[in-house]
Amino acid sequence: MSKGMNGYHGVILDIDLTSGKINRKPVPVEDTAKFVGGRGLGMKILWDRLKTPGIDALSPENPLMFMPGPLSGFPVPASCRTCVVTKSPRTSAIASEYPQASTVSYSNMGGFFGPEIRFAGYDGMVITGKASSPVYVLIDDDKAEVRDAKKFWGMGTDEFDRKFIEELGDRRFRTCYIGPAGENLVSYACIINTAARAAGRGGTGCVMGSKNLKAIAVRGTKMPDVADHKQFLDFLEQAREGFKGTDFTKGWRYGGTARALAWSSGRGSQAVRNFREGTFADIDKIGDEAARQKTWIRDFACYCCPLSCKKSGAVKTVSHTGLAHDGPEYETGTMFGANLLVSDLGGLMKEISSGDDYGLDIISTGNVIGFLMENYEKGNIDRTFLDGIDLTWGNVDAVLKMIDKIARRDGVGDMASKGVKLLAEKIGSDSDKFAMHVKGHELAAWNVHVDPGMGISYVSSNRGACHLNGRTLEEQNSNAMIDSTGVCLFADYGFGEMGLQNLLTAVTGIEWTKEEYAKAGERIFNLERMFNFREGFRREDDTLPDRFFAEPLTVGPGQGAVLDRGEFTKMLDEYYEKRGWDPKTSKPTKAKLQNLGLSFTIET
Amino acid sequence: MSKARVIQAEWQNDMVSFSRRDFIKQVAAGGGAAIILGNLGVLHLSSVMAEQAVTYRMIAVDLKKCTGCRTCEAVCSAYNHKQKVNGELLNGLGNPYLTNIRVHGFNPDVDVPAVCAMCLDNPCIEACPVEPHPETGRKALYRDEETGTIRNDRKRCIACGSCAEACRAERVGIIYPNPETNKPERMCTLCDGEPQCVKYCPYDALSYMEIDLEREFYGKSPELIAEELTRRWYAIDGKEGKNE
Ligand code: SF4
Ligand code: SF4
Ligand code: SF4
Repeated sequence: MSKGMNGYHGVILDIDLTSGKINRKPVPVEDTAKFVGGRGLGMKILWDRLKTPGIDALSPENPLMFMPGPLSGFPVPASCRTCVVTKSPRTSAIASEYPQASTVSYSNMGGFFGPEIRFAGYDGMVITGKASSPVYVLIDDDKAEVRDAKKFWGMGTDEFDRKFIEELGDRRFRTCYIGPAGENLVSYACIINTAARAAGRGGTGCVMGSKNLKAIAVRGTKMPDVADHKQFLDFLEQAREGFKGTDFTKGWRYGGTARALAWSSGRGSQAVRNFREGTFADIDKIGDEAARQKTWIRDFACYCCPLSCKKSGAVKTVSHTGLAHDGPEYETGTMFGANLLVSDLGGLMKEISSGDDYGLDIISTGNVIGFLMENYEKGNIDRTFLDGIDLTWGNVDAVLKMIDKIARRDGVGDMASKGVKLLAEKIGSDSDKFAMHVKGHELAAWNVHVDPGMGISYVSSNRGACHLNGRTLEEQNSNAMIDSTGVCLFADYGFGEMGLQNLLTAVTGIEWTKEEYAKAGERIFNLERMFNFREGFRREDDTLPDRFFAEPLTVGPGQGAVLDRGEFTKMLDEYYEKRGWDPKTSKPTKAKLQNLGLSFTIET
Repeated sequence: MSKARVIQAEWQNDMVSFSRRDFIKQVAAGGGAAIILGNLGVLHLSSVMAEQAVTYRMIAVDLKKCTGCRTCEAVCSAYNHKQKVNGELLNGLGNPYLTNIRVHGFNPDVDVPAVCAMCLDNPCIEACPVEPHPETGRKALYRDEETGTIRNDRKRCIACGSCAEACRAERVGIIYPNPETNKPERMCTLCDGEPQCVKYCPYDALSYMEIDLEREFYGKSPELIAEELTRRWYAIDGKEGKNE
């Protein structure tokens, strides 16, 4: 540990797959103080590494980063996250001068991987270059090497998860990997760990595939030091107490995110029928109560997490009986269920397990398939276009065939693997009006008609449409910080008002007041925005699909709900105003950047 | 025997109320302690039990409740590896590498916390080649008479690793020789009577109690336990899916 780096090792592991060189690089104290870790520190490194805009996200130069935070590895409740940061292969701008312009991408995964990176003695991992043939990276404390992975290429994530651990010979190794989708460069391929947890969004698995990198394994024995040991133990005790026996904790354990399936449908905010509706009549067939009875086996928690939102499952008593996989969550249950009008729980489980096994982002995949279903229904495409698949609503077999085609980029799957934005260009017939994306990144499982705040979350997110971005600027800054600490967003509330700030203070020795904490979040968010701006993204890229302004919901409690374009534009104007951004271009003002300590982003 | 039996009964009641249907299914599936013990091909523990006057309180795991969060690892490490900070002896930061209870994760999802079973026939001590001390009768690996925990006398230990091998071959496999000294580590200390893992497990999956030696999975390796639980939990008709 470098002096003055409490809470950090002060070391980033730098791996160049082209040359095979592995280096330990120091992290400047100034950067950890300003950008914290995780999403923030990853963003700073991305900015530093990509000096010129417009590089191809799938080129060897694009760094793929695995970033835990300063609380990762300490037994703080839910301090389990790893933020994967890279330049996005998913997004594109309306009028950038760079043909390969894209936004930042960050995607956060739970499990045990991030803490283990810290146990191995690093604050993060930066991978650049491209291996000449499939490889995996093995990190065992100070030892790190690149190894041949040819025999694993093509293997689904579930089988790989088991085979890889066998090869490594110790279950203490923590691993993450891509499936065939990532290998085949499906733009929305994800990175998987523990056979079901994912850095799902933003095409991180596609970038990993472009580097010929199948997997990473890490194991370690160390821990960074903290600034105030005694204070840390006190705050840790408080944090643990704060989660104990509360309704908040009980709720997560009881239903995970799947609780939201019925709840969201009940208020008209679910993605149903390619976002045409907000309520799914058959939601009870796939909601958490049905899932609990027919698929859930046990609760599964990430590192030191008291919430256990993940439900290990196996299908009992419905179709596909015997299939062992995680039960539906809100996102997977909606995007592969409600959004496609799939009400067969066993079939839904099969879709989810297939999506995870291929290593696909189920949100984007469900969105793409919903888009194709709608075009098929409307007659914009025919069965020939779909390689003979009868892609009707609710047809599980057809969905499974499409998943397969997308992951292998076979026939129609090749086009579909690029996402709805490019599909709409190909299909024409005004289908862009219901191509549900922002900047090329597909919308997630939350519908907008009854919830304009979610519309703000989608359009103002720096990675393209994102439901976790936050409805207000305060929420967005806070979420950017959470993603930078290594703690899970779902657990945030459980820490109470000052819990995380206090822990960060004890760990880093920097006084993290409420104000400084919020400001660091704002700094990170603005740096992302500056990256996007430099790529050529402007206000007109912050736009919702037409559907929300043109087609009111026709069923459910939200019936009649539709967005008013004028009002939404006003909301967005106010948002830029409050952010200190030019409402015309969405560019952060000079004063704002200086105030946040981002002067280095102002071109001279 | 009776006291342990009562505890065993309570335990099973817990399991039934947790998931009556699954429990009944488990019984119907025929997976019982006898079958599992049979897999081991080593001494049948209940016969040892019959000859022993004492049993010990130890750490017991409810595998159905365990979520694999590894909080137990961190708190065990923190308590048993204290640090001197500004002259004050404080709990460590919880580096899980040093833990005495170790959670083994499997796919399909099964998590098995492995901890010393304080085996009454102590194969680890049997395997220790160091002559018993003329006064205390202790080998280099010995049992603390009061708590029943397994200890290592660092001074007399010859670092041969026999105890670790025996534990791995015959029981839970919890002894990890120190990478530098090769002397045995990770035997549960019971934390001076206040087991930290029990206190802090967020899911109440751990108990500090006298264990009936016929209790299912007692003294088994995580691999054996995982194999059996995978079969029970995930092989529902077992045609499709990841069960081989
Ligand atoms: S703390 Fe409890 S739930 Fe978590 S791994 Fe240990 S025994 Fe299992
Ligand atoms: S579990 Fe291993 S170390 Fe513990 S008493 Fe049994 S054989 Fe000895
Ligand atoms: S009782 Fe104490 S030493 Fe034994 S496993 Fe639990 S925490 Fe570790």
